Amino acid sequence: MIKTDVIIIGGGATGCGIARDLALRGIPHCLIEKGDFAAGATGACHGLLHSGGRYAVSDPIAAKECFDENMILRRIGEKCVERTGGLFVRLPGDSKLFRERFLRSCDDIGIPTEILSSTKALELVPNLNPEIEEAIRVPDCSIDPFRLCLLNMKTSQMKGGLSFIRHRVTEIVQSHGRCIGVKATDAATGEVKEIHGNILVNASGAWADLVARLAGCEVPLTLSKGSLVITNHRLTDMVINRLRPSSDGDIIVPNEAVCLAGTTSLAVEDPDALSTQSAEVDAIISEAGRMIPHFNRARIIRAFSGVRPLLRSQKMDSREISRGFQIIDHQNGLYSIVGGKLTTFRLMAEKMVDTIMNAFNLKHDCETADQPLDGQEELSGYPLSKRLANMKNILCECELVSRGSVEKIIQETGTRHVGDISHRTRLGMGPCQGGFCTFRALGVMHDMEVLTAQQSMQSLREFLQRRFRGIRYALWGDQLREEQLVEYIYLGILAMEKTRERH
Amino acid sequence: MSVIEYDVIVIGAGAAGLTAAAWLAEQKLRVALVTAGEPTACLSTGCIDVCSRSDQPLHGIAGLPDEHPFHRVSPETLKQALEDFRRMMADMDMPYEGTLEENRLVLSAIGTFKTTCLVPATMHASPQSDEEKIHLITFTGLKDFYPGYLLSRLRNASFSSYDAGVSTTMGIAAHFEDRAFLETFLLWLERQNIREDKIAFPAVLGLESSSFVLNQIESRLERPVFEIPTLPPSMPGRRLFNVMKDHLRRRGGVIYWNWPVVGVEKSGRQIEAVTTEAQGRPNSLNARAFILATGSFVGGGLYANRDRIVEKVFNLPVFAPENRDDWFEQDYFSMNHGIGQAGIPVDEAFCPQGSPWNNIFVCGSILARTETLKNGCGHGFAIATGRAAARSCLERLK
Ligand SMILES: Cc1cc2nc3c(=O)[nH]c(=O)nc-3n(C[C@H](O)[C@H](O)[C@H](O)COP(=O)(O)OP(=O)(O)OC[C@H]3O[C@@H](n4cnc5c(N)ncnc54)[C@H](O)[C@@H]3O)c2cc1C
Ligand SMILES: Cc1cc2nc3c(=O)[nH]c(=O)nc-3n(C[C@H](O)[C@H](O)[C@H](O)COP(=O)(O)OP(=O)(O)OC[C@H]3O[C@@H](n4cnc5c(N)ncnc54)[C@H](O)[C@@H]3O)c2cc1C
Repeated sequence: MIKTDVIIIGGGATGCGIARDLALRGIPHCLIEKGDFAAGATGACHGLLHSGGRYAVSDPIAAKECFDENMILRRIGEKCVERTGGLFVRLPGDSKLFRERFLRSCDDIGIPTEILSSTKALELVPNLNPEIEEAIRVPDCSIDPFRLCLLNMKTSQMKGGLSFIRHRVTEIVQSHGRCIGVKATDAATGEVKEIHGNILVNASGAWADLVARLAGCEVPLTLSKGSLVITNHRLTDMVINRLRPSSDGDIIVPNEAVCLAGTTSLAVEDPDALSTQSAEVDAIISEAGRMIPHFNRARIIRAFSGVRPLLRSQKMDSREISRGFQIIDHQNGLYSIVGGKLTTFRLMAEKMVDTIMNAFNLKHDCETADQPLDGQEELSGYPLSKRLANMKNILCECELVSRGSVEKIIQETGTRHVGDISHRTRLGMGPCQGGFCTFRALGVMHDMEVLTAQQSMQSLREFLQRRFRGIRYALWGDQLREEQLVEYIYLGILAMEKTRERH
Repeated sequence: MSVIEYDVIVIGAGAAGLTAAAWLAEQKLRVALVTAGEPTACLSTGCIDVCSRSDQPLHGIAGLPDEHPFHRVSPETLKQALEDFRRMMADMDMPYEGTLEENRLVLSAIGTFKTTCLVPATMHASPQSDEEKIHLITFTGLKDFYPGYLLSRLRNASFSSYDAGVSTTMGIAAHFEDRAFLETFLLWLERQNIREDKIAFPAVLGLESSSFVLNQIESRLERPVFEIPTLPPSMPGRRLFNVMKDHLRRRGGVIYWNWPVVGVEKSGRQIEAVTTEAQGRPNSLNARAFILATGSFVGGGLYANRDRIVEKVFNLPVFAPENRDDWFEQDYFSMNHGIGQAGIPVDEAFCPQGSPWNNIFVCGSILARTETLKNGCGHGFAIATGRAAARSCLERLK
C-alpha cells in the first residue's frame, strides 16, 4: 500500500496543475490517470490560450480570469505557448451591435483591443477572406496541451510527487464515513494498487460524476461534446475568431505545422462513447471556410471530439452555461473540481490547493504564477526548424522525429505505448497520421525488447483502430488516397488481418 | 502544339496498362503509353495476387459476387495472360514461380503470412509455416525492417545484423549491385556459422541483379535463401515494374513518362485525342482507341471529392456508395469498406457503361466492384483484365 497526503484523480491540465501547485507548497501527493496525461478534454481541445475576448460579452468574470491567466502563462510557459495574437473578424451580415458590445466589454474587463481595417488584417493573415468588414486584434495565444501537462508534472516529479498513468480509479476506500484512499487498476497488468491519503481530489473532468459516485456522492454536470478538424497546413499564423455570439466552427488556431478549427456543441451522456459525425465536419469546414476560404480545399488530416464538463444550470443551450469553475466539498475528505477551461487550469489549481491548505491548517502561499514551468530548458522550443538538427535516421518524416529521440523516450519512460511517444515528440501527428512511423516506433520497441509479439501486434491493432476513428470522418481527397495506401500496407503487405486467426 | 497519331493510347503504367500495351504492340499496332508517374506496383511486394480469398485462385474467382469484373475475363484469357507474364519475366531474368491451381504463402515483415499466387524466385523458399528453422539477416539501422516482429512469431529463428552504413532499403539494394560490396558481405556471412535450414533477408538483394545475388548467396552458403517484402519503397515491386516497362519498349511501344493526361478532344461518339502536360507544354496525342488503366485512388484514376467520387481523365460515370458515411465502416479491419467498390462499371467488351464514347476500354483496379484488398485481386487481376480489354479493343479496331 502507498501512503501520501493528497490523491489527485485525473491527469488533465487541472490534475497536473494541482500536482505542481502541491509540489511547490511541499505537500506529498499522488496523481492517478486512467489513460496518458491529457487523455481527456485537455488533449482533445483547440489549444487556444484565450485572451478572454470569446467570453467578454457572455461571461465577463470568466473572461477576466482568462485574460489574467493568459498573461501569467505566456510568462511562465514560454516553451508551450506561442504568442500568435488573435483576430476577431466581422463578415458581411454579422451584427454591428455585437461588435459594439464586444468592444465595450473588453474595455471594461481590461482586454486590450485594436481595430484593424480589412486591408490591414489581410496583411497580417493573407489567407483571410478578403470580404471581411474589419478585424479586432486581441492577445490570444496558441498553447500545446500535452507539453503543458508534462511540464507541470515535471515539477511534481522533481519534488518527489508520485504519478501512475494507465491506472483507473475503480474504488474509493472509505472508513467511518470518510474517504481515506483509492484502489487503482493497472490497465496493462490488471494489478490493483491501494493508495491511501488524507484528502482526495476529483479532477476527472467529464468523468467527475462517475468518480464521485464511487464515494456515494454526486457532481451535477452537463456534458457537451465539441468536435474539431485538423488541416495539414498552417493556414494562419494568428488565432482567428468570428466576431459574433459563440457558434459552431468559429475559431481557428494554428499549432506547430497544422491548424485546428472548431468547434461544435452537442449534449452527450457518456464521456467514453464519442463519435464525430460527417455533418459536424462539414459544418466546421464551411464555417471556417467563411473566415479562411482556403479551408474548403485544405487537406483535413483528422477530425475528433472532446467533452466539456459544464456545471449544470437552468439555461438550456449548453454553450451558454457558465464556463467558470467550482470546487465542491463533499464533506468526507473528497473534493471535486469541475468546469473551467484549459486557459484557467492554473487558477483552478491554486484555488483547489488553497482549500486543501486550509483543511490541513497549513500556511504556504501559492507560487505557481511566479515560477517558470520546470523542464523547459530541455525543450527545443516552437519552431519546427530547430528539430532539423541531428536528423539522421528519421522515423517520422512528417514531423521529423529521429530514431534517437524515440529510443531515448523508451529508455527514460519504459513505455509500451506508441501514444506516449507521439505526445512527447509529435510522432505520427502529421499528414500520414502515423501510417508509416507507428510500424517503425513499435519495431524499435520490439528490438529494444520492451514488447512481446502479442503486445506489439495488439498495440498496432489498437493504434490503427484509434487512428481510424480520428480520420474516418474526414476522409476524402488526398487524405483518402493516403489512407488507402496505408490500409494496403497493413492489411495487404503486412497481412495483419491474419494475426487474429493465428493467436 | 505537336500532333502524333497512334492506333491505341494506353493511359497508366500499372500492371494493367503495361500488359495491355505490350500485348497490342505484339499484335503490331502502333501503341503509346502515357503515364503521370509510377504505378502501385512499385509500392507492392512484387507478388502476383490473382484472387487470395481461397486457397485456390480459380476457386476464389468462381466464388466472387456475380457482378465482379473478374467474371468478364474468360478462364482461357486468364491462363494465357499469366503464362505470358511468367514467360516474359523468365526471359528478362526475373523468373516467377507458382500456378493458378494453388495459392501459396509468403512470410511478411511482421511474421504473418500473406496469401498470393505467383512469387518472384527470390521468395520461392519463403516458409509455409512458423515451424521452419530460419536465420534472419538484418542491416543495422534499417528503418523499415525490425527483426523483433519476426523473431517473436517464428518458433525457430535467430538473427544476425550487418552494418551496411545506410538505413534505407533503396540504399542497401544499391550496395548489392556492387560486386565488391557483395564479396565483402559474403565473407562476413560465411563467418556467421549459420546452422538453420534457410536464410532470410529483407527484400534488399539488389535491384537489377537480384537473381545473381540470390544465386551467389545460395551457392556459397549451400542453403535456400529468400526475401521478405518490406514497406514501400519496395525493391521486388520496383523490379517487377522495371521489367514490364522494358518489355513494352522492346515490343516497340512508346512510353510518355511523367505526362499526366489533363484533357480530351472529342468528336461525335469518339474520343479523338488526349492532351497531356509535360514541362508546362501542352501536347495532343491522337489515336483510334483509348485504354484507361489509371488505377484506383492510390494510382490516381479515381478522386474523392467531399460529396462525390470522380474519374479523372474522361469523367466517366462512377459506381460508388452514394453517401460519404457509407464509404467506410466503423471497424478498420473489416476489409469490407464500401469505398472498395468504387470504380467504372463496364460491359462484356470492357467499355464503360452509361458513357457516350465508344472507343474507350477500361482495365485494372479502376474497375467497379473489384474490391482489390478484400478479394486479393491485385496484379493478377490487373494483368488479366489488361489482356482482356486489349483483345476487345483490337477486335473493335479490325
Ligand atoms: C472541443 C473542445 C475544445 C476546447 N477548446 C479549448 C480551448 O481552446 N481553450 C481552453 O482554454 N479550453 C478549451 N476547452 C476546454 C478544456 O479542454 C477543458 O476545460 C480542460 O481541458 C479540462 O481539463 P481537466 O483536467 O479538468 O479535464 P480532462 O482533461 O478531461 O481530464 C480528466 C482526466 O481524468 C481522467 N479520468 C477520468 N476518470 C478516471 C478514473 N476513474 N481514474 C483515473 N483517471 C480518470 C481522464 O482520463 C482525463 O484524462 C475545450 C474543450 C473541448 C471539448
Ligand atoms: C501499397 C500497395 C501494395 C500492393 N501490393 C500488392 C501486392 O503485393 N500484390 C498484388 O498483387 N497487388 C498489390 N497491390 C494491388 C495492386 O498494386 C493493384 O491492384 C494493381 O497493380 C493495380 O494496377 P493498375 O494497373 O490498375 O493501376 P495502378 O498500379 O494504380 O497504376 C495507375 C497508373 O496510372 C497513372 N495515372 C493515373 N492518373 C493518370 C492520368 N491522369 N494521366 C496519366 N496517367 C495517370 C499512374 O501514374 C499509374 O502509373 C498493392 C497496392 C498497394 C496500394
